Amino acid sequence: MTAAGAPVLEARDVHKAYGRHQVLNGVALTVQPGQLVAVVGENGAGKSTLLKILAGTMRADRGEVRLAGTLGYCPQEPVVSESLTVGQHLRYFAAAYRLPSLQRANALADLFGYAEFRDVTAGALSGGTRQKLNLTLALLHDPDVLLLDEPYQGFDWETYLRFWDAVSDLRTRGKAVVIITHLVFEQDRFDMLADLADGRLINRQPAHGESHVSG
Amino acid sequence: MSAADLARPAPPSPGPSHHVDRQFPTAWRFAVRNQTRNRLAGLLLVIFVPVWYLLMLAIAGHQSLAFRLYATGQVLTVDAGRLTLISAGLNSLTIIVGFAVFAAIRKTLAFDKRLVFAGYRQATLIAAKTLAIAVLATAVACYTAGVLLAFWRPSPVGWLAIAAGFAVIALSYGSLGLLLGVLVKNDLEGFFLIIMGGLMDTFLQNPLGNPLANKPILEWFPSFGPMQFAVGGSFGHQALWGHLALGLAWAAAFAAGGLIIFQVRTRSRRHPAG
Repeated sequence: MTAAGAPVLEARDVHKAYGRHQVLNGVALTVQPGQLVAVVGENGAGKSTLLKILAGTMRADRGEVRLAGTLGYCPQEPVVSESLTVGQHLRYFAAAYRLPSLQRANALADLFGYAEFRDVTAGALSGGTRQKLNLTLALLHDPDVLLLDEPYQGFDWETYLRFWDAVSDLRTRGKAVVIITHLVFEQDRFDMLADLADGRLINRQPAHGESHVSG
Repeated sequence: MSAADLARPAPPSPGPSHHVDRQFPTAWRFAVRNQTRNRLAGLLLVIFVPVWYLLMLAIAGHQSLAFRLYATGQVLTVDAGRLTLISAGLNSLTIIVGFAVFAAIRKTLAFDKRLVFAGYRQATLIAAKTLAIAVLATAVACYTAGVLLAFWRPSPVGWLAIAAGFAVIALSYGSLGLLLGVLVKNDLEGFFLIIMGGLMDTFLQNPLGNPLANKPILEWFPSFGPMQFAVGGSFGHQALWGHLALGLAWAAAFAAGGLIIFQVRTRSRRHPAG
């Protein structure tokens, strides 16, 4: 899925500093429809900052980000309301995305195996289930581009595999997925891996066959 | 359920107006739920309000106090205990409503931002929150005015004036809670400002042992209007509508400040499609 065409997400010369600390120093990234991209970096490298700028929740000091189509963004820390139940979250976001039904919300809750917690408040959920809900809220409207910040933290093995099923489904339907992570266990799942170091992204070739576990 | 089920196309949308209509009731229902899930505020309401009345009445005694009505220039001679009951009611409302709204707004700020990012109309969220705060403030004010009857039975019209004053101070501090909820960086700052601000504001209006009593400086505090209206109605048998409106102006100013900052802090910086 690396054929050149009209990119669905493109970042050019993105700069961001916190005070005197320059975090991003000319980041460039081009993502095509159907591509699965990993942005890899050590703690503090600026991965979450980059993802927030790509998502549009943070303003870059300089540079440009262009998005074609709809966007789903899953932040690293679950952003949920402690006092609302899982079902209420799904209804709230279905209204936000202007979805005509909860069909896809229910399918995602079933896929990630937390439908039984529909009437439980988010404040009473385990960390892993909160993360599943967090991910669902980003996937609810079947976005053209999905940005995920360390998405599978706290997942059990079964959910981890189902997560990759969902990603595969998105890719086959031409949706792009960008995953930010500090560790890549299965490099050959990705079409492109880019290392974020010294404020810049450097592409590396996927090492096919390395520690791949089939989903 | 498999991943393939996710690929099923959604049924056709009935049109944008349908969704806008659905966004408001959803936001309204969940805003009320968020505002009423604060158990500590509920506990304060049930226990603190009557205990505070009892305590303040015991401290104040029943000496006569001179209270100036600014609208008419009239100086009323009032019972210290009854006047202090009004101050205690106003004060408990500043703490309970201010605290409940502040806590609810802070807890959901990041979530609200995510909702707006997902496509929720900011104006709809703001309207739902404002309405939820107004309903909560009015309900708590009615309860507080109701508990007052256990300690003092003013005339029905006098009681209505007190309830109206209570409702306006509750709206003012609910709006202040909203403003501080989106403005301050730490919870402690917000709680301190609400508690100390409310104490100073409401008890400076009471002439009991207060050297600033009946001085013009009192006009610059949010509880001035509600206190004047409540005392004017319950002791002076006068409806000082201008002072009630002054209290509402404080509420409107706090709410406008809070909602503007909320609007800025939750706005989406979505990129242009390219």
